[in-house]
Amino acid sequence: MPARNSSVRYGSVAQFLHWTIVVLLIIQVTLGKIAHELPVGLERLVLMARHKSVGITILGLAVVRLAWRWIDRPPPPVPMPRWQDIAARLNHWALYALLFALPLTGWLMSSAANRPASWFGLVQLPDFIAPDPGLKESFEEAHELLVNVLFVLAGLHVAAALKHQFLDRDGLLFRMLPWRAR
Amino acid sequence: MMLRKLALPVALAVALCPAALAGPRQADAASGTLEFSAIQADARFSGAFKQFRVVFDFDPGQPAAGRLDVTVDTASIDTQDGERDEILRGPDFFSAAKYPQAVYHAERFERTGDGWRADGELTIRGKKRAVPVTFTLAPAGEATIMQGTANLKRLDFGLGQGEWASTEWVGDAVDIRFELRLAPVG
Repeated sequence: MPARNSSVRYGSVAQFLHWTIVVLLIIQVTLGKIAHELPVGLERLVLMARHKSVGITILGLAVVRLAWRWIDRPPPPVPMPRWQDIAARLNHWALYALLFALPLTGWLMSSAANRPASWFGLVQLPDFIAPDPGLKESFEEAHELLVNVLFVLAGLHVAAALKHQFLDRDGLLFRMLPWRAR
Repeated sequence: MMLRKLALPVALAVALCPAALAGPRQADAASGTLEFSAIQADARFSGAFKQFRVVFDFDPGQPAAGRLDVTVDTASIDTQDGERDEILRGPDFFSAAKYPQAVYHAERFERTGDGWRADGELTIRGKKRAVPVTFTLAPAGEATIMQGTANLKRLDFGLGQGEWASTEWVGDAVDIRFELRLAPVG
């Protein structure tokens, strides 16, 4: 599979970034949800540390992905009604925005809570805002709202991909998979 | 007229008293800061104590006669994180209900390069340990600015019971720094 996109499918770099971020997002949401239910204690501290490390990783990959998308333009869309094409484009850009907004609100929330983030113990993130319990609440609400937006938009994204694959039978899913169509 | 008559004697008194530190001096949270930093989940964070009192009786010309006493209200710990503060005040850390105060007492002082070192003892949770404190003194009018640092290991004092005794996610080392504006007592 070529590294770069062809006119009919995504290349290995775009695919690797797409699926790595999918896996990390699933891990990330799971870590966040479990930690959120735990009482204050060491176990929650550890899970939140992992959550922050994974979040920083996602932010880094989002930067790489956006840069790569600019270098290597995606294949043109498969034939579909105009409204679906527009909806798909909007949803893609909203998902990209979330890949930045979720880690950034988490980062700001960490700084406001005076619980700075570290990337797997290797490097500590700088704090762009001073500790502020009130701001922490605001960023926490934004972070939780955005993750719910992610669920809805990612759900639409998956549903649309499956509709193309199994109802329209246009082979769209194979554009983002390493296997050959049929 | 009265002021003018007083001006010369006062000026002479100040000039003849260069140490300007004779007699006990004091500071508290209104005239100083007592901060610390430590590692939590691989990241350094800072906190402070909002209630404390320092009494320092020290003549640089006679360090052997010096005395430094610091009393800190453990419940006044503030890391700008309510959940963490609650744990720090609780039984696993300062146990503030049982040990409302941490105290530092030093009677031995040695000159260092640009300042002093106090070799005193810190008592937290009823555990007394030797903790050196390095500091500098600078005159500021009637007052004296005292700036310094100290380093301690929290587990020496039982700060971190049960699961918190592990140093993997909460570092053992705690860095202390303070800046005090010491004013003459009375």
